Amino acid sequence: MPLFGTLELSTAVTSLPVLRDLDTEPWSLPKAEILQMAFEVPRATHALLPKAVHPAIPSYVTLLVSRYPESPVGPFLLAQLRLMARAGAHPRGFILRAYASTPEAAAALRERWGMPAEAATVSLKRRHDRVMAQVLRDGVPVLDAALVDPQPISGGDVQYIHSVTLAQAPVDGKTGTWLVQVDPRYTFHKAERGRPTVSRLDGEAWGAPGLALQNPISSTVCTCDTDLPRIRFVMDPEVPVIRGTKKIRESREAE
Amino acid sequence: MKFGLFYEISVPRPWTRESERTVYNNALEQVKLADELGFDQVWAVEHHFLEEYSHCPAPEMFLTACAMVTKKIRVGHGIIVCVPEFNHPIKIAERTAVLDILSGGRLEVGTGRSATWNELGGFRVDPDITKKSWDEFVRCLPKMWTQETYSYQGEFWSMPERCIIPKVYQRPHPPMWVAVTSPGTELDAADRGLGSLGLTFGQFAEQERRIAEYRRRIQLCDPVGEFVNDSVSTVNFLYCHEDDDKARATGRRMADTFNYLASQLISAREAYPSRSYPSLGLLPQLRRQATGPDANEQAGEGLGLGNPERIIRAMKKWEAVGVDRVNFLLNAMEIIPQADVLASLRLFAKEVMPAFRDAKSGNGGAA
Repeated sequence: MPLFGTLELSTAVTSLPVLRDLDTEPWSLPKAEILQMAFEVPRATHALLPKAVHPAIPSYVTLLVSRYPESPVGPFLLAQLRLMARAGAHPRGFILRAYASTPEAAAALRERWGMPAEAATVSLKRRHDRVMAQVLRDGVPVLDAALVDPQPISGGDVQYIHSVTLAQAPVDGKTGTWLVQVDPRYTFHKAERGRPTVSRLDGEAWGAPGLALQNPISSTVCTCDTDLPRIRFVMDPEVPVIRGTKKIRESREAE
Repeated sequence: MKFGLFYEISVPRPWTRESERTVYNNALEQVKLADELGFDQVWAVEHHFLEEYSHCPAPEMFLTACAMVTKKIRVGHGIIVCVPEFNHPIKIAERTAVLDILSGGRLEVGTGRSATWNELGGFRVDPDITKKSWDEFVRCLPKMWTQETYSYQGEFWSMPERCIIPKVYQRPHPPMWVAVTSPGTELDAADRGLGSLGLTFGQFAEQERRIAEYRRRIQLCDPVGEFVNDSVSTVNFLYCHEDDDKARATGRRMADTFNYLASQLISAREAYPSRSYPSLGLLPQLRRQATGPDANEQAGEGLGLGNPERIIRAMKKWEAVGVDRVNFLLNAMEIIPQADVLASLRLFAKEVMPAFRDAKSGNGGAA
């Protein structure tokens, strides 16, 4: 049997987002610009993953910095660090920490989808030969990264992995700790691939103290229409997802 | 229709000093029996770093051992990763020649390029170039096997004139194959006159369409070797037992285990968007078969899981869609006890194989 995460839930539950319910309305997020970078990381990161999921092997993280020019809470930017995993047979990115550029967006993302988001200064800037991302928390940089030398590729070559978040959620009338699946759709308008570089990543600020990015894998920047859909699945974080998954509603196709 | 075995060498955790040795020894015992029972070929993969899924990084070693304990069964080196960071072309030519000699001319050579980030990243390979290096390698290999001396200047490797020795035992050279997982690779095989070594399971209609296109296309091929191998092979699971329900339940556990392990691998496309890997390939398909809407299909008629009558029906259907060879995975994570695997092989040979032997010899089917 593949390895499982080894996160001790007791170390995480005190600061988890609290979902108000599992009936949030979807958000449409047109013309989003998404910078994604992937890096291999040490196996010690298995300790950051809930026991319900398998770590990706080799262990790797994805850094996502997105600009959403339209949303129900107005324009905002969002930066996320995700530790990649398998929920049963399905690739998933476990969100370790997220930063949104407005307090309204951070609050909504926490309450509606259980994202561990805080407000911070998030920027995504394009230069001729690079796309640069920065996150300042209380004025202190916790991320400086760039995709270098972007080259056009097909959006069809890009595979975004769905996310899971660890949150307190009301299920069957009782609030408990759950993994919440967040599974957006993407319609690509433009895609580029380049070399990922990170000059600063404060692991502590991203929920991964001491995290060392090792082997750069790839980086893409895409323009696409996307969304944050209604919640479809939650999973018991302590039980393999094959046994601990609860369906909240039918698939999006059935809506 | 010919039948063979296909080995990933799947080793479950916990890994003890003896566990890998036990899996290899079990596989060798199965191959020895398969040879005695009349199976035609045994294939072994080249995989690296694929924990539990495949502990088979040196298939030529395993296949040499197979050749030493068998008399007739052919040994399939499938597939050799034709990417310079994995294998130098000279070494490929040399070690395949030695294996062909030691096996007495029983070698089949599968070629491919790897499709996981586990492996490509591990060898620090640029995924963008693997198809190009594969194309270069497969054009060099037959010449390295057959020409008295050889020199080469290419994009991915070069060598001054040397005599590459030894030469292969088979004349003009062993049959060559291409691993076919992504749709369209069968056309790459056809264009080069190479056999189609299918590594996907099930889906008759899709396979029939792809095989028909392969057959049409290979008639106009420009062969990279000195002859055209127009054979079509596919992989399948095998667990044969008189009790159909028991066979299907046991076999289903094996198939699910294999697919679940496969779904843990990181496909090249998941990590590194590239036109070189335009389709999702094998892994998402297996993931879907493990848990998705296709899960029930695994217990369907296409698999070699069931009593002999059921398996004959499945194999006849594969034969009808144009498959020449079916290579079977016999176990995954050793979940089926070795004695049961051997019994399954014996029953298959006794009850299933005659139905196909008769058909081939024109004496009428026994089924």
